[in-house]
Amino acid sequence: MLGRSSNETVGANRRTIRRRGFIKITGAASITAGVAGCFGGADDSALQLTATNEWQNNSDEIQQALYDAGLSEDIEIELISGGSKTDEMQNQYSQWLSSNQAKPDLLVFDSGWTLPFIVRGQILNLEGELPEDTLETIHDDYFEQSVNSTTGPDGKLHGVPLYPDFPTIQYRKDLVEEAGYDWGRHRTDPLSWERFSHELADVYEQSDVTYGYNWQAASEIQLACCVFNEFVSSWGGAYFGNPEENLYGPIGDRPVTVAEEPVFEALRMARTFIHGTDEPDTLDEFAGEITSDEAFQWGLSPSMQPFTDGNAVALRNWPYSININGADDVLGEDMGVMPMPYGVPEGEGEYPGTGGSIGALGGWNYCVNPNTNRLDECLEVLQVLTTEEFQRENFELVGHIPPNPDVLENADDVPVMGRYLDALSFAGEHTMARPATAVWSQQSDPVAQEVNAALMGDVGVEEAMSKLDSRLTELETSFSDS
Amino acid sequence: MSTEERSSTVTQTGTTPRYRVDLATLDWLERRSDTQFVYMMLLPVFALLGTMAIWPLIYTANISLHADSIATADPIGEFVGHRNYVDILTGEANLQRPFFSLSNPFTSAAPVTLIYTVSAVLVETVLGLSMALILNREFRGRRWVRVAMILPWTVPIVIQGMIFYLMFQPSIGFAVGPLNDLGVVSSTPLATSRDGLLIAIIADVWKQSAFMALLILAGLQSIDRSLYSVARVAGASRIQQFKTITFPLVLPALLVALLFRTIGALKVYGLVESTAGCNTVPTLSCLVINLWSANRYGSAAAVAFIIAAVIGILLVGYLVQLRKQETGGT
Repeated sequence: MLGRSSNETVGANRRTIRRRGFIKITGAASITAGVAGCFGGADDSALQLTATNEWQNNSDEIQQALYDAGLSEDIEIELISGGSKTDEMQNQYSQWLSSNQAKPDLLVFDSGWTLPFIVRGQILNLEGELPEDTLETIHDDYFEQSVNSTTGPDGKLHGVPLYPDFPTIQYRKDLVEEAGYDWGRHRTDPLSWERFSHELADVYEQSDVTYGYNWQAASEIQLACCVFNEFVSSWGGAYFGNPEENLYGPIGDRPVTVAEEPVFEALRMARTFIHGTDEPDTLDEFAGEITSDEAFQWGLSPSMQPFTDGNAVALRNWPYSININGADDVLGEDMGVMPMPYGVPEGEGEYPGTGGSIGALGGWNYCVNPNTNRLDECLEVLQVLTTEEFQRENFELVGHIPPNPDVLENADDVPVMGRYLDALSFAGEHTMARPATAVWSQQSDPVAQEVNAALMGDVGVEEAMSKLDSRLTELETSFSDS
Repeated sequence: MSTEERSSTVTQTGTTPRYRVDLATLDWLERRSDTQFVYMMLLPVFALLGTMAIWPLIYTANISLHADSIATADPIGEFVGHRNYVDILTGEANLQRPFFSLSNPFTSAAPVTLIYTVSAVLVETVLGLSMALILNREFRGRRWVRVAMILPWTVPIVIQGMIFYLMFQPSIGFAVGPLNDLGVVSSTPLATSRDGLLIAIIADVWKQSAFMALLILAGLQSIDRSLYSVARVAGASRIQQFKTITFPLVLPALLVALLFRTIGALKVYGLVESTAGCNTVPTLSCLVINLWSANRYGSAAAVAFIIAAVIGILLVGYLVQLRKQETGGT
């Protein structure tokens, strides 16, 4: 018994020491963590802007360019990431803005999904906030489609375009000229797809490169928003009827027009490019097998790599790649740029605004977080973005196309990009915005899936488009019912 | 400060010095029983668990009972009860892909996930068991073989996805040509749902078989070696030893490994997204992410809870089986 009592006492003492020690240690740890928390908080003294990857990679230069263009030196800028990919940014913004956070103060929005945020009332209406002359400049002088992408259904401006983005055809000028063609004269006078296919097939045959015409046919959003949108628009078709009226709605009350002849023709042409003319659902009058079937797996980078390596005749891509491929240590002056070819001549499409050379409109806009506590500073940044000085500098630094065409036209002394101004200006005036309604993020997947399946030949063209018609119609209906 | 000064301060202000309160608290703590003390110490953990796990779960469950709201500032629509669940399970909900369609097993979310889970876990189990049986034997260089087998398991999911993505890129991947010649995959395997699913399964097997092997090996090494000596003396063949000793005794570890892998496979997202992409191989988790990205929070939460329910049912099944094993089937 004695021994047991003794043991219990020892145990109790040991326990007492452990408990006291434990409480002290955890107390100290809590205080340390608390103090660390106080010192580790975010710095709110700077005006926070989310930024594109190009801006983040050139953060110091961009900030200096803003100050040089007139931004008050006492406004400290902090560029932050909203996500590395566009869909990540979209999700992140949803969370930030739904929780009414005051930060970030300014947000850069993809023109493809600015509108859903405007519709949900999550972006500040800039009418009445920006000075009249700034608003006039944006409304009257900027690329119209860029302004439309940041204008709400009420006609009010909710963002300032940072840069528009539109694709062009980049090509190996040396190979084309060696084969006896001059595509330089098509910089402002586009080729038809039919002639393009024949001439490219000839160049391809005469050269020793592995790839002909590279474009993106993977089942990704890129196919839905842009590549297929361009094919369809240039053939005079549309996803939702008249683009001038229905591009941004009304959802549920607009026709779905993908099961129509211009869309079928566009798909048949694209299939011809890949499969040649012997396969079903192809067009005999076109030259075929100019695009590798690897295109089924190609997004932007995989399709571009062979061209950058000098191993392809032509490439469809956005202007950022012109800056890369046209650099002196890549293709340099051996690279040519021209607008997208057309399916039917301009004005002869089934719907207004369709037909002719058409590139899908991309680009980014800066919008103000309505919960910001630093509205005046945000508005000052937006005004600086509209200055010619800043837009030129931004074009030269990172290749962002000035949203004001006048600035673009006067930037021919800018290295690399300056060589292709006429083609870029023409392409900028011939763009088609994507149908970026609130339901588009739901609709772009079915478009990519069905078009990709039809391109591969898993289903017939008409069958695929009929299925797509049903899926888009269902989404339109379910959205308008909700 | 002297003792007198301190006493004077106490008298003047009429308050108890702080350190006396602390001591009283410590004394009070010491008078608690062990059980009470343990629970008190666990309280912060429970609070953390409640805040970080239980509350978000309840919150998400609540969202799943509300309609999608795409075009208003309020991301959550009106309360609709279990309608989201009914709509999803009856095919009424307009999801981006059919949720369950046996006629489209490679392009519908539920069949794709089911095929992926069953195939990957089955192959991983067989391979994992084989690897564990080999590693359980004494042979020269066993340590090196163990390292080689475990190496794939240490590779992060994104890197694993990138490895297989590059392997199956036609212009650069070395696997496309020979496999295409053999008729196993098409010339653009990452663009077709059937091939993409196959590649995702192979990638999963490449990585996770080692994980299965490790868990099964732990079970194998806990088996009493004397049982084999007795069996040998009794004249049992190797197959008989495996059937009567190894397999029954390793089964609990095998079931635990199966449980982990099945749950992991049912939730697969990162691997699929980084190889063929969610548009080509649409798993259930892809569906949740896509719905969430499209601001359809109600539907996304409902699909997530359906996945959780399936995992829960499996979990109960495994636990019942484990309990049977432990109690000898009674």
